[in-house]
Amino acid sequence: MVHATNLTKRYGRLTALHDVSFSIREGEILGLIGPNGSGKTTLFECLGGVLPLDGGMVLQGGRPLTASDRASSLFYLPDGIAPWPSQTVRWALEFIANFFGSSFDVRRSSSDAPPRTPHDARRTTNGVVRDLDLEPLLDVTIGALSKGQRKRALLAMGLLIPRPILLADEPFEGLDLRQSRDVAQTLRRHAAGGRTMFLSIHQIGDAARVCDRFVLLSGGRVCGEGTLPELSALAAARSGSPATDDLEEVFLALT
Amino acid sequence: MRSPENNWNAEHALRLRSEQARGEPGRTASSARSAFHSFYVLLGKEWRELMTSRAWWVLLLVMGPLVGVSFISAVRTYAEASGLNGTAVGVGEAFSPLVGIWAPTFSACELAAAFLLPFVAIRVVSGDRQSGALKIELQHPMSSFARVGAKALVLLAGWFVASLAPAAAVVLWRSYGGSIYPPELATVILGHLLNAGLTIALAAAMASISDHPSTAAILTLTVTVGTWIVNFVAAIHGGVWERAAAYTPTAMVAEFQHGLIRLDVVLIASALVLMGLTLAAIWIRLGVAVRRRVFDSAGLLAVGAAAMIACTFATASWDTSESRANSFPEADEAALEQVHGSLHIQAHLAPEDPRRSDLEHRALSKLRRVMPKLQVQYVSATSIGLFEQNREHYGEIWYELDGRKVVSRVTTAEGVLEAIYQLAGLTVPVDGDVAEFRGHPLAVPPKGAATVFYRLWPALVAGAAFFEFRRHA
Repeated sequence: MVHATNLTKRYGRLTALHDVSFSIREGEILGLIGPNGSGKTTLFECLGGVLPLDGGMVLQGGRPLTASDRASSLFYLPDGIAPWPSQTVRWALEFIANFFGSSFDVRRSSSDAPPRTPHDARRTTNGVVRDLDLEPLLDVTIGALSKGQRKRALLAMGLLIPRPILLADEPFEGLDLRQSRDVAQTLRRHAAGGRTMFLSIHQIGDAARVCDRFVLLSGGRVCGEGTLPELSALAAARSGSPATDDLEEVFLALT
Repeated sequence: MRSPENNWNAEHALRLRSEQARGEPGRTASSARSAFHSFYVLLGKEWRELMTSRAWWVLLLVMGPLVGVSFISAVRTYAEASGLNGTAVGVGEAFSPLVGIWAPTFSACELAAAFLLPFVAIRVVSGDRQSGALKIELQHPMSSFARVGAKALVLLAGWFVASLAPAAAVVLWRSYGGSIYPPELATVILGHLLNAGLTIALAAAMASISDHPSTAAILTLTVTVGTWIVNFVAAIHGGVWERAAAYTPTAMVAEFQHGLIRLDVVLIASALVLMGLTLAAIWIRLGVAVRRRVFDSAGLLAVGAAAMIACTFATASWDTSESRANSFPEADEAALEQVHGSLHIQAHLAPEDPRRSDLEHRALSKLRRVMPKLQVQYVSATSIGLFEQNREHYGEIWYELDGRKVVSRVTTAEGVLEAIYQLAGLTVPVDGDVAEFRGHPLAVPPKGAATVFYRLWPALVAGAAFFEFRRHA
């Protein structure tokens, strides 16, 4: 679906991404795994068009993805932001939906209001708000949300934006165990609906629970890409030790 | 198992195919509608952000008392000059509300535009960057100029709301029985609107270039103070500084406050506004390499500078003052239009010599409007002229037309006209039946103004702010 080839990003003399190449397949949940400072956020910001790349290209269907193509194909959800802090969650979801072109009304999302057109969009909104347990928070300002609540509100925004690929930076950061599981289920449901997810995760346990395939990033370089068995085999081949189904061990062996 | 109606990629592909099937015109119309819708939504968002901006509410709150102080003081002075409280009726007979009321009242807008509006604009532009909202909004395929344009439009709308304070002064003045000459009032408003536009564009550019709002505030105030320095240097050194100083916001507003609309000033101010907003649009593109943004900015500055130089050649101007404060009497203007040669004036006066200021403001500024080809050259060895008084030719004004020369020391409009008529061989025209402006004296105190500006306005603003913040909380 999308191929990133030789992506390079430098900050002065520091090279944050060294010839990073990987593929994103349609409808999968791809996990970008790496320790802090490995270049995960930089990679996502470059893919999302928020940071300029110094080299490499992103291809879709064999053709380079232009800025306008990118705007209609993928959406990058940053981590650690509190957008429009003086506005309510309800307003933010409505704004996102209207601005990015899904026409639905969050005011009716938590009620049993009659269906509105487009039907699917309304259903998606209702579902997202319910799945992420945002109904009690709809009238709270974003600046007043806790870290976990804000993360769920941001995820809702990302899921409401009608792009085939969602890049979410640390989607489980700040969530408790129950919320992490709920979010993982929600992401899985959306992936099952055909939407592609690319998640940057530094907690390997979270990644193992939700992702279909993994891209391992360390020091701005890709150390491995594939499913857990593929990566396990690669790790075993490199270290000469027996293959394991523990992602943490695989990650440590490959990075 | 994936259900077809929920398949994002299938939907995406289907949408692209249907757009292609509709053909280029259909797609263009559809995308134009979509772009307009997104812009409309963004405008709503920016307005809502302005409504929750404390900086804007502070501007609104302060605007009333600021205008009130200026208006009440102006009305009192006007009344005293018109004979209130037994004072002798003096200049009030030739008093124009333009100079006596509107210029001082609206000067509060100039103060607010210089010291308060930049912070509101910086909050609106930098807020998205600080909160991270810009990273989300930038992923919409809207042009960066449209994004900045939405912010500028909302800021301008916010400025209109703040301008309700001087509008209240106009209503009060009317209720006192004061005279209003709409063209000159509209000119003052236009001047302050352009000034606000300049402030918004400058603040938007600085907020986009710098990472932090405080840096943007420092840069904006630095540019504002820089224009004052240009005015100061122009007053001392004259020459090219004097020409540049004519286009600073302070000088521009002063001309509008005198009821003069100069096309070159309007064009240059508009070009500067456009440049500022474009610069903001260039730097708001976080996904574009800094080198490319620097290159684009340099290109913009080069094109902008060329455009502004071209604008200085526009000579049209309109005197909208009821008193024709910026024009010679009509008979004199008709006579001057008969002078077809190129008039050259050489004035041996230092920049800080008060006679030079008299000559410039009472005569030459009016003369340039009638004779666009007029060439004026100031000659002096020092800036103050104090030690040049004994120098040969100092204080002389030489007029040259088609090889003929006359010299004079008179700096009044009448003296300058007399020298030109003598040089051109024209007889001094007679004004005829043209009615002379006698002014609109009004000896009334500013009744009720203190209540409006010091009590009612702050109470209304505070109430509206309370309601607004409570609604969003």
